[in-house]
Amino acid sequence: MSLTQVVRSCSRFAAKSLRVTAAVSSTAQPQMRLMHRISSNSPAVSALLNQNYSAWQSQFVRNYSAKPPLTLKLIGERVLLVLKLYDKIDPSKLSVDSHFINDLGLDSLDHVEVIMAMEDEFGFEIPDSDAEKLLKPADIIKYVADKEDIYD
Amino acid sequence: MSTRRQVITIYRLLLREAEKIPAYNFRMYAGRKIRDTFRENKSINDFAVIDQKLAEAKQNLELIRRQVIIGHLYSAEKLVIEQPKKALRRSK
Repeated sequence: MSLTQVVRSCSRFAAKSLRVTAAVSSTAQPQMRLMHRISSNSPAVSALLNQNYSAWQSQFVRNYSAKPPLTLKLIGERVLLVLKLYDKIDPSKLSVDSHFINDLGLDSLDHVEVIMAMEDEFGFEIPDSDAEKLLKPADIIKYVADKEDIYD
Repeated sequence: MSTRRQVITIYRLLLREAEKIPAYNFRMYAGRKIRDTFRENKSINDFAVIDQKLAEAKQNLELIRRQVIIGHLYSAEKLVIEQPKKALRRSK
């Protein structure tokens, strides 16, 4: 047998086997399709799919949503937290109705800093003319609620 | 505008402008310096002196504004203490 004959017989054999595999796959395909249909219809699998999908969603989808809804209570908590974290205010003396200058012993410069901290917390600017009138935590809460259109 | 109002306004402007300085050390120094200097001078009663101090404050406000721009032109990497916790963890 010459080399060319060997090569030719090899290629023939390969072509045959290719044909066979093609036939197998063409018969197998409808079955696989059927299985696919069954699996996607079964509730357990679809639940799993949904779970995967929601996991995927939480990982890759960005939510460009608005800020969380404010309530009067939430504003109050945030205001008091900011005030507690301010180093010149004694947290034990602090209450919603304590006066910054008379009760908490701040001076007008500290008051400016408190108002600036509120601006940073709630993300809007408080003009000087309004800032002068905000002398108690309760005033700030009311002012912020007015600005954000929150009424109870 | 009353003197009191003027002082408070410029105090606020100075603090707000100082926050914008990009370099951590200068930013912290400016904040401290502004607070300390205003407290130091809060008992001045002489209007002439107050006017002089106000002029000085305005000059310094301009200086800080210039420094903010210059600082942004030649900005350096943020210090380790400035980075948020998450970023730190990632770099470890």
